[in-house]
Amino acid sequence: MRQFFNQLISFPYFFKIAQISFPYLFLLSISVILLGVLWGVFFSPVDVTQGEVYRIIYLHVPAASVAQSIYYTMVIASVTYLIWRIKMASVFMISMAPLGAIFTFLALFTGAVWGQPTWGTWWVWDARLTSTLILLILYLAIISLFSSFDRRASIDQAVSIVVLIGGINLPIIKLSVEWWNTLHQSASITLSGSSIDNEMLIPLLISILGFYLYVTAIGMRRMQVEILKREISHNWVKRIFQEKK
Amino acid sequence: MKSFYYKTFQRDSKVYLSRSSSFLGPIVFFLITITLYPLAFGSDEEQLAELASGIIWISILLANLLSHQFIFNEDYKDGSLDLVLASGKSLFVWASIKIFVNWYFSSLPLIFLSLVTSFMLYLPLDAALILALTLFLGTPILSMFGALAGALTLERGNIVGSSIVIPMCLPALILGILAIQSYKNEEVLFYIFLLAAFLFFSIPILIASCLGAIRLHFE
Repeated sequence: MRQFFNQLISFPYFFKIAQISFPYLFLLSISVILLGVLWGVFFSPVDVTQGEVYRIIYLHVPAASVAQSIYYTMVIASVTYLIWRIKMASVFMISMAPLGAIFTFLALFTGAVWGQPTWGTWWVWDARLTSTLILLILYLAIISLFSSFDRRASIDQAVSIVVLIGGINLPIIKLSVEWWNTLHQSASITLSGSSIDNEMLIPLLISILGFYLYVTAIGMRRMQVEILKREISHNWVKRIFQEKK
Repeated sequence: MKSFYYKTFQRDSKVYLSRSSSFLGPIVFFLITITLYPLAFGSDEEQLAELASGIIWISILLANLLSHQFIFNEDYKDGSLDLVLASGKSLFVWASIKIFVNWYFSSLPLIFLSLVTSFMLYLPLDAALILALTLFLGTPILSMFGALAGALTLERGNIVGSSIVIPMCLPALILGILAIQSYKNEEVLFYIFLLAAFLFFSIPILIASCLGAIRLHFE
């Protein structure tokens, strides 16, 4: 186990694994997303109060879930980097932050499209929407840090400090924004059970799984690119490209 | 023999008092921002009274973050930061002193000024006193976040630093505003205690991360 972990954080080994597994993972994720979304859109029952509109849930909820999860994994990576100086952790943070920003934006966008017919407005200053917007701003701020130093190690260090402080602060921000205002329906799926009908829940869960697989696949690809950028002058990179020829 | 920390305190205070720009800068910024709001929203008394707490809090937040951006800059440029790092003295205490002196000279005047400006914005006296109390608890948080932003962007001071820390200051802003809005009922204590908790919670974490941010320029 320990040996496997040690191998996984070495750049050449990870690169090889990602190279092999990416196509399968990518195709799998696309087909799972298609399965979940198509099932949800064409075969699940119509919602009593919201009608057909609710079907955007199959994009909205997975995107929002992924957007938050990415941040929490980045917090774990930042702690890993700050304590053990594992370079893979910083590669992970730097490749995942733009993905997180994209999915947060997607969650906000689908939410706005959903809110227009059901709430009658594109945007309300409600607790969840506001904290998701803040999450997006946080992601963008982290991305803007990428180019503010000349040395690689400084960027890694700065990004992990900001990610960590943001991670400690995010629950506090959420709580304080909740005291400030609440309109959004509370979370429908919790660990103890869910308030949605099974026929809607199953495609939703499939779609969530698909989104997570997709993020894993694309994240691995982005990490490969980031590794190449850092290790461009190393021998193992040259060897890989010579083999290709 | 005066200790190193006491000398730092003395030196920073002297620098602050001898330079009008660092002392008056935040005050001028604060006053001009306050003036902008009635000019933009109109001079309606009720409307201004409703907005007053938010206006003052936002102006102080911006003034604070801007004035704390440069807290470590000069020490970095003239090389004294290197000497402090090499001296083996506690960097934690040193940074705390620097942030405290900065807060004392650039935020404390603003808190007293906020009492004056809250009358100009027609805020009732009770609410104004609560406002000053929340600012007293909230501005150190803003100062520490500002120092973190400055420490992160020592090499080139730019907008990135403050845009990173503003979202993190939100709990302080929200708790402060909520306390002022509920100044008539019991809840005000709840929010003030929460704000105090946030302050004491963030002191060790933020100063430690400031140090981490300073060190990354010397790796």
